[in-house]
Amino acid sequence: MISVKGKNNWPLIISRGGLFFVLWWILTDGVASSWWIGGPAILLAVATSTILLPPGSFVWYEFLKFVPFFLLRSLLGGIDVAWRVFHPAMPMSPVLIEYTHRLPTGMPQVFMANSISLLPGTLSTELDQDVLKIHVLDSQGNFLAELEEVEQRVARMFDASLKVSEGGR
Amino acid sequence: MQPLYLTLAVFLLLNLGAGMWRVVHGPTNADRMLAAQLFGTTAVAILLLLAQAYGIPALRDVALVFALLAAVTAVAFVRIAWPNRETDHDAD
Amino acid sequence: MTLIDYLSAALLIAGAFFFLAGTVGLLRFPDVYTRLHALTKADNVGLGLMVMGLAVQAKSWSAVGKLVLIWILVLLAGASIAHLVSRGALQRGIDLWRR
Repeated sequence: MISVKGKNNWPLIISRGGLFFVLWWILTDGVASSWWIGGPAILLAVATSTILLPPGSFVWYEFLKFVPFFLLRSLLGGIDVAWRVFHPAMPMSPVLIEYTHRLPTGMPQVFMANSISLLPGTLSTELDQDVLKIHVLDSQGNFLAELEEVEQRVARMFDASLKVSEGGR
Repeated sequence: MQPLYLTLAVFLLLNLGAGMWRVVHGPTNADRMLAAQLFGTTAVAILLLLAQAYGIPALRDVALVFALLAAVTAVAFVRIAWPNRETDHDAD
Repeated sequence: MTLIDYLSAALLIAGAFFFLAGTVGLLRFPDVYTRLHALTKADNVGLGLMVMGLAVQAKSWSAVGKLVLIWILVLLAGASIAHLVSRGALQRGIDLWRR
């Protein structure tokens, strides 16, 4: 349960504990007397989560770098869509594209699919083993560069290497 | 600040009401499913504004539960309440 | 009104503007996919700005944490709902609007 092929998972398990600690503190508004039940609850949560979702590779530093990128881009996404909404002619030329994944299956792909729905002009529509169908609001935009950037950031976050692209996009 | 909070809460409520037009009129069932999205965010924002306006922190916990339920509602909507065939292609 | 109050008010009003954009998009945009774009992105930015506007007024750090936690949950829910609804629409053969 704890270690996979001699890999040291303790840092990841401890960081999960820290996450649940912060959650409990938030939910109880830091009431000191709640910790006698909070402590055991956190231990139980760490144990359960380790069984249900074994710790994979996760680079916290890359995650922290992703946060400002995501916040800024999603703000731009909101501004972009608001501009199209209020423009009398509603400028857009929607298209459905298929993006061949280079990320490994599981969490990295899901993370990417969810992120791009909140980024400017892209909406993840169908997630397959190797293809992600994306509804693009403006086919003239540079959405491909955007998608590749997200993909690379997510790959670094999950310490995964990108599969060599087989050309077809 | 209280008048601002309440004005904005009413404004969001009007937004919700206007959005309901789409939910009621469709034209497809998919459009009706958008209610889940609309209610999820707007109701949470209204609750947070009211929590601040009246100084009732418990309303933030209600907002938290709403936020959690939004995802569950969506799955229930899409999996259970959405017929497999689109029956009403009346307008589009 | 203090400086914090002005900052808070500006963020809240900006947030409300994005909610309005989301609703107008919901009513104006031509098909379910584009409506999802408008609603998902505009409303999440709107809520994010409102959360920031309320967070600068918050009395404790745990209250700030709770506001941020709520926003993260809504973000996750919003992304999942957008994905589920647009996938469902695609599988049921709802065509996308093209110019």
